[in-house]
Amino acid sequence: MINRILRHIIFFILLILLQVLFFNNIQFSGYVNPYIYIMFILLLPVEIPSWLLLLLSFATGLIIDFFTGSPGMHTSATVLAGFVRPQILTVLSPRDGYEPGASPSMLTYGFRWFLIYSLTIILIHHTALFYLEVFRLSEFFRTMLRVLLSSLFSLTFILLGEFYRRGK
Amino acid sequence: MRSLLNFLARFNNLIIFLLLEGIAIYLLATGNNYHNTRVILGIRGITNGVEESISNTRNYLNLRVINQVLSEENVALRNRIGRLTEKSSSLFFSVTDTVYRQQYNHTSAEVINNSVTRQKNFFTVNKGYLQGVAVDMAVTSDNAVTGVIVGCSANFSVAMSVLNQDFKLSTRIRSNGYFGSLSWDGRHYRKAILSEIPQHVSVNVGDTIETTGYSAIFPEGIMVGTVSEFEKVGGDFYKITVDLKSDFKKIDFVDIIGNMKKNEQLELENKFQ
Repeated sequence: MINRILRHIIFFILLILLQVLFFNNIQFSGYVNPYIYIMFILLLPVEIPSWLLLLLSFATGLIIDFFTGSPGMHTSATVLAGFVRPQILTVLSPRDGYEPGASPSMLTYGFRWFLIYSLTIILIHHTALFYLEVFRLSEFFRTMLRVLLSSLFSLTFILLGEFYRRGK
Repeated sequence: MRSLLNFLARFNNLIIFLLLEGIAIYLLATGNNYHNTRVILGIRGITNGVEESISNTRNYLNLRVINQVLSEENVALRNRIGRLTEKSSSLFFSVTDTVYRQQYNHTSAEVINNSVTRQKNFFTVNKGYLQGVAVDMAVTSDNAVTGVIVGCSANFSVAMSVLNQDFKLSTRIRSNGYFGSLSWDGRHYRKAILSEIPQHVSVNVGDTIETTGYSAIFPEGIMVGTVSEFEKVGGDFYKITVDLKSDFKKIDFVDIIGNMKKNEQLELENKFQ
């Protein structure tokens, strides 16, 4: 149990560092900003209490906000992602339910399931994030393009990470 | 209490979510200059819209008062124009007496009773001899001939409308200056008949008909209407149908014009009759 919590903490720190030191500096042509820290929210155990999930989302967003200097932006998007995660898990639940103690990962539930699951949450998170960033509707479709392209890149990196974990 | 706790327990996730999201939005709105500005602009836009519609409504409700004020102001300005433009025809004015140089005196009034359906129509205005209105003053509305005052009480006056078979007005065609007599045949409230225009005169549909000023009631050149159609009747004269400029079904504020030199003119003319 302690071991698992420790692993999540290390994973969290690793993701934050990756995001802040590497991915925040990627910016192709103003359209693509991958945000992979959402992977931490994706991979938390299935039976985690909702309030804890929300608090962890809040903390994650707040830390990212500290580093990017945009108070509230990542926080509100990540809290939204943490809020919808239980509902999405309910909708996507396998025929015989989730195993106790399972993490919603590609290792446990397969590539197709994980693709749908992560894409949904990434899209919700990125939509909230990018629209909050521009904070106006006058460039609606340009922002939507940014959301889609960035989601695609975030998804690619997260899937790569999952493949790496499975290969190990 | 128990149901409240049940309610809280049931929606605790939603409450936590809303709380955290509220904090995040608060941070977003206050911590970033850009978002702060956008939020303030948005709120200001909404309140401005509300305030604007309130102010519009208030303006609309005040329109009546505003109309009255404007109409009184118009009269004051017309009086002043009358004083300024009337050229002194005498070289021997030693004193600058503005009253003698002014020929027409304007008073504004509101129509409070009106009819267009009878053969002899009159309307009532809310100014009487206490306000300087007298019999035989001209009434115009929107600079178009409307009628003549025929009776005054202290605060009200009755005017004979153009739509009265007893009404006769000396008018002329503006383009060529030929004058005739305008009267109403009792048919349509927007049409009057101009007679006594000789047939050798060229008349066109649309020609402007205006007052001559011969009667010493109406000033010269006030518009009556336009030629709507004309036909040759009998031997010598046209029968010209005139579209009246005033819409008698909706006259509201009128201008009562008194000719201050009328008595002088009539006295002189009477000596030679």
